[in-house]
Amino acid sequence: MRPSFFHHLHPPTIPAVQSRWRHTLGAGGTAILLMLILGVTGILEMFYYVPNPQEAALSVQTITYHVPFGGFVRNLHYWSAQLLLIVSAIHLLRVVFTASYGRPRRFNYLLGLGVFVLAILLDFTGYILRWDEGICYPLVTGTNLLKTIPLIGDFLFRIAVGGGEACNTALLRFYTWHIFGLTIFVLILGVWHAFRVRRDGGIAVPPPQLRTDNERISRNELVRREVLQIFVVSIVLILMSIFLPAPIAAAMTGKPIVTEEARAPWFFLWVQQMLKWGDPFLFGVLIPFAVLTLTALIPYILPEPADADIGSWFPKSNRLAQIIIIAIALIVIVLTLMMVLT
Amino acid sequence: MTDLSRRDLLKLARDGFLYLSSALAIGGLLRFLDYDPNPKPKTEFDLGAASDFPLNSRTLLSDVPAVLLHTESGFSALSLTCTHLGCTVEEKTDGFTCPCHGSRFDKDGSVMHGPAVQHLASLRIEITNDDRLILHID
Repeated sequence: MRPSFFHHLHPPTIPAVQSRWRHTLGAGGTAILLMLILGVTGILEMFYYVPNPQEAALSVQTITYHVPFGGFVRNLHYWSAQLLLIVSAIHLLRVVFTASYGRPRRFNYLLGLGVFVLAILLDFTGYILRWDEGICYPLVTGTNLLKTIPLIGDFLFRIAVGGGEACNTALLRFYTWHIFGLTIFVLILGVWHAFRVRRDGGIAVPPPQLRTDNERISRNELVRREVLQIFVVSIVLILMSIFLPAPIAAAMTGKPIVTEEARAPWFFLWVQQMLKWGDPFLFGVLIPFAVLTLTALIPYILPEPADADIGSWFPKSNRLAQIIIIAIALIVIVLTLMMVLT
Repeated sequence: MTDLSRRDLLKLARDGFLYLSSALAIGGLLRFLDYDPNPKPKTEFDLGAASDFPLNSRTLLSDVPAVLLHTESGFSALSLTCTHLGCTVEEKTDGFTCPCHGSRFDKDGSVMHGPAVQHLASLRIEITNDDRLILHID
């Protein structure tokens, strides 16, 4: 049989520990499934979405209320996108908590983090494409944050928005970034990431001589487990998309008049909370960037986890990495709750 | 450098060519994306006849956005764009509040509570010869 990418990801047999749900949580595979659903539903939405400030919100309403199964397709796209961020975060936590980022997986850890950042940007640009009355302030503040960056700020703003006033002019740029500019990179990095998982020896487990469990499972058994996970996730997604409609609001007309507090999309609430404290460049750019850099450096500056510890939950030898990632997660969650509850 | 072999010279030339053309391509791409196709945002707003704004009136100009004041000392205008990150502040009983990050300004546009640091901008009002008001955003 000729080797294929599918067979690269599914070798004839793999150690059983690598495919245990309690070890992987199935998070990486679920993320791939969600991305595939996002690709398909996104292409379907493109048949009706009009990237023009006058018509965008109306075309979203057409998709949602008129196109047969359009609301369902849009809900699937929306919920897959939200779940993707959560599942990616869980995947990242799992990798750190099971000491799975050490050599030779350090580079793949960076690739995965890159995919995560791109997924956040895709979620934000997709949110802006609704072009309803709620998106203007998050768009204004988000793009004005670019302008606060010294020297290259105005340049970055023009690249992202195309100049002018964001709420009048950004739609076409954001559409192109969402559908092509960011997607092409997430595709490249995502495929590379999946390829490297196997290239680096599959899901991280101790070397053979340190393994207690030497059971192996076949390719068929692996695929069977993946199909089970796909089945469960799909049912959850379908139920969510039937019963929980994605947010939709009236079209944006001129400058929005907001009577209550304007809120960022949920994954940026923690940044919005910090921005209440002062300097936009510090709280809106430097600190989020520092958090990302610290996360990226975990495999490079902290001691390597012990071989025997790889793949077991919360081992002693990478305690510091666990503490750092727990601290980051807690800070983000607490800031988000502060924003939601005040 | 005199003992550079033919093979090394060609390799150097090839690598130099590749790096240079990549740099040029990326530079060109960035310049391509850097163009602003939009008309310049309006900096002048014709508000109409001055007599439309009686003494002691406050008029909300939501498309600027600004508020126009006519007092004993003449016409003045206050920008309603928050100086922190650009949302439009809302008028409250004691001044203005930003819906995005909670900055508060008093009735004259001075900062009462952060995160904004700068006061709301005063905008220039020009009265033309035929008594029309022109608002300038500079």
